[in-house]
Amino acid sequence: MSHGAADPTMHPEVQLSTSKGYFLGFAISAFLMLVATFLVTSHSVPPFGLLMVISVCAGIAVIAQIYFLLHIDISEHNIWNTVALVLFIPLFLITIGLTWWMFSQLYLRTMDMSVMSSAMQPAVHASATPGMAAMPGMNAHTDSGN
Amino acid sequence: MLVDLPGGWSPLLGRLAWSQIPYANPILAPLFVAVVIGAIIVLGLITYYGKWTYLWKEWLTTVDHKKLGVMYIIIGLVMLFRGFIDGLMIRTQQVWAVGPHSSGVFGSLHGYLTPFHFGQVYSAHGLIMILLAATPLLVGFMNIIVPIQIGARDMAYPYLNALGLWITAAAAALIMISLFVGDFAHNGWFEYAPIFEMQYSPGVGVDYWIWTLQLVALGTTLGGINILATIIKMRAPGMSWGKLPIFVWASLSANVIALTSFPALQVALGLVAADRYLGAHFFTAGMGGNLMLYTNLFWIWGHPEVYFVILPAFGMMSEIFPTFSEKPLFGYITMVLASMAIAGVSWLVWLHHFFTMGAGPYVNTAFSVATMLVGIPTGVKVFNWAFTMYRGRLTFNAAMLWAIGALFLLLIGGMTGMMLAIPAINYMVHNSVFVVAHFHSMLLVIVYAIFGSVLYWFPKVFGFKLDEFWAKTMFWLFSAGTALVFVPMYMLGFMGMTRRLEYVFNTGWQPYLDVMEFGIVVYTLSVLAFFILLYVSVRDHAKNRVGADAWGTSRSLEWMTHSPVPFYNFAVLPHINERDEVAWRRQHGIDNVRPEHYEDIHMPNNTGVAIILGGLTFVLGFALTWRIWWLCIVSLLAIIVLMIVRSFRGDPGYIITGAELQRMEEEAYRREAQIADSHHSHPVSGGVVGNAMAYQRNDSSK
Ligand code: HEM
Ligand SMILES: [Cu+2]
Repeated sequence: MSHGAADPTMHPEVQLSTSKGYFLGFAISAFLMLVATFLVTSHSVPPFGLLMVISVCAGIAVIAQIYFLLHIDISEHNIWNTVALVLFIPLFLITIGLTWWMFSQLYLRTMDMSVMSSAMQPAVHASATPGMAAMPGMNAHTDSGN
Repeated sequence: MLVDLPGGWSPLLGRLAWSQIPYANPILAPLFVAVVIGAIIVLGLITYYGKWTYLWKEWLTTVDHKKLGVMYIIIGLVMLFRGFIDGLMIRTQQVWAVGPHSSGVFGSLHGYLTPFHFGQVYSAHGLIMILLAATPLLVGFMNIIVPIQIGARDMAYPYLNALGLWITAAAAALIMISLFVGDFAHNGWFEYAPIFEMQYSPGVGVDYWIWTLQLVALGTTLGGINILATIIKMRAPGMSWGKLPIFVWASLSANVIALTSFPALQVALGLVAADRYLGAHFFTAGMGGNLMLYTNLFWIWGHPEVYFVILPAFGMMSEIFPTFSEKPLFGYITMVLASMAIAGVSWLVWLHHFFTMGAGPYVNTAFSVATMLVGIPTGVKVFNWAFTMYRGRLTFNAAMLWAIGALFLLLIGGMTGMMLAIPAINYMVHNSVFVVAHFHSMLLVIVYAIFGSVLYWFPKVFGFKLDEFWAKTMFWLFSAGTALVFVPMYMLGFMGMTRRLEYVFNTGWQPYLDVMEFGIVVYTLSVLAFFILLYVSVRDHAKNRVGADAWGTSRSLEWMTHSPVPFYNFAVLPHINERDEVAWRRQHGIDNVRPEHYEDIHMPNNTGVAIILGGLTFVLGFALTWRIWWLCIVSLLAIIVLMIVRSFRGDPGYIITGAELQRMEEEAYRREAQIADSHHSHPVSGGVVGNAMAYQRNDSSK
């Protein structure tokens, strides 16, 4: 029970918060969400571009929330927040990165790539994607057995 | 309505209807009557003895980490018993329903459980054992032991601690009520996409599953935050990181895992709920959904979770071995590093639960290698325990037997885990009972460590030892049961028996199933031995009272304060000189000093808010399951309002004056002096003995 446990309002992270900050954080997140919703419902961007734009919106929203709502900064008295943030980065890379990798490998093997790619990029001709045999980890002559 | 609800819905009761109560079920109806009668008897006894105020004041509204821990452990043991009954039912069905000529009763073609009912039994068994038995038991022990081991008076957030407990209790209540109102999920404890979608599982079972898991996840996350903050901020003066007791390190690594992995589960469940409640398509086969994404998200949490439950168990073993080997733990630093390494690697291996998804050789190889890496730190631990015992002065009491049993099971489970980690083998035995035997070996490590800890720390919490004879009887019966059930299970796995069979087609497997049924009977005897153990120990408790250091060879800080631990833990905070503080003090002859002067101390007040919030989360979970929307809104609003009100009111706490403290301490010392073989303590002035500091100096600010 070190610094002022009896009065939570004295804690540094509480001291840092202002209603202006909360409203700003809320407004930015809400605005970005509206933008994303509009883009999805209006189909105004091709699928791959949509993916990118939404990802960027999500990224900005996360940063805004971390800063304005959670007050995570890299100052001295919030050192444990920084530790948590540093721990978060590798975990983020692991979960998203490895998931991406395993599913891209899975799709190579289980999806009809001509359909996939034409859905993703209507402009590209289907034959531009590699066939099964050319994929990493695939042997061109495996289907002899089954 | 966004999704089609088969079978009607009314605004007042949602999907709830009389037809959902299984009063015609030949198993559930008698059970329900028994439960009601039992509940009436218990409530009647409490009223008869006028214990309601005591119960409310001392237990239901408490924020004392020890009492909360005890309640966690009681919930865990009750759920362990429920899960055990489920296990008994599974075994009995499988030994009965073998081959086309096997008989059937209660409307089942073979055996006594219909496939649908059997599915519910094994799904509930798995979920209960991992999340509502093992997890609360471990959280309970961390709750009790961590603050005392680091010399704190309570958790960092006592009220949050109570909240975590009551939310966990709400989860347990929710899964229990699914027995009598509606039904539970029947697709396995971790479910599969898309069978959990509305079209394929139209009942409320999956919804019960979603909200039970959400509540446990919430409760455990809150508990994890609390334990982490406590370890980081509340250590006694002098306790640097290098002097942290090993169980505290284990709790730290485990709760880092909890804090980082449970959110993944909550997101996965949230998306399942979106599919089932809002008609979304995250995990459907078409419409842009992806089935395997569910499995992926689930195991991103699922594998770290299995290490969340095993690391505290490792910590318990690391406390028991040194005490009963009369030697310090071998390789403290490597033990700490190994815990952290296990926590880190646990994040990199989840795909080994679905090698057969077919992500191909590169992905499977990478995850196979990562999985096998876990063997290195685990091996380090095993060797450290072995070297701790090597040339030690071993005492084979019941606690030690459980710890050694855990060590053997760890070897078996670890080796079979390594086998499973090889994709070529995994393709052969995936979803066979070999996998089931593997993870039961592992989870039994936890159960063994927990029973060892119950024996080891019981005298600390309650002030008397448990009966050795019955504890050993229970151990041997339990171990015989383990061998009889799981050795045949490994063999059946190799023979190709798949998991979750409600009908066993191969009559050649009958002998193995018979042995397993016999094993579960032996397990049942060990459960009886446990009840006798409790009865005999409580009956003879006056004979088995202990002083502060219950075992005489204990090492860490919790053994310095009285047994039972007073509600303020330490009257004066100790000053930590060494890693094994109590062993060090004993060696230096200052184990029986006591403070000369007592300062006022500040303690948190009890609060009824936590249990009310727990009750409201239960109502919310129930209302969501049955889609009673008005009740969802009411309970959610009540939760939010209550939280805001409580936050503004805060808790000023209260003061125990030095004089009061002195009176209580002197009484405790007097009690201790009556125990035959306890040392007599004498006061020291200024908190200093010789050149060692025994207590926090009054003048020093931390
Ligand atoms: C030496 C470390 C370990 C290795 C190498 C290992 C490996 C594996 C592998 C490869 C599987 C997937 C089997 C399959 O479904 O085909 C598995 C399943 C499982 N393991 Fe382990 N494991 C280890 C430790 C643990 C621990 C410590 C626990 C729990 C305390 C545990 C609990 C489980 C559970 C619950 C499952 C299966 C869940 C299910 O399918 O229902 N394992 N393990
Ligand atoms: Cu795993």
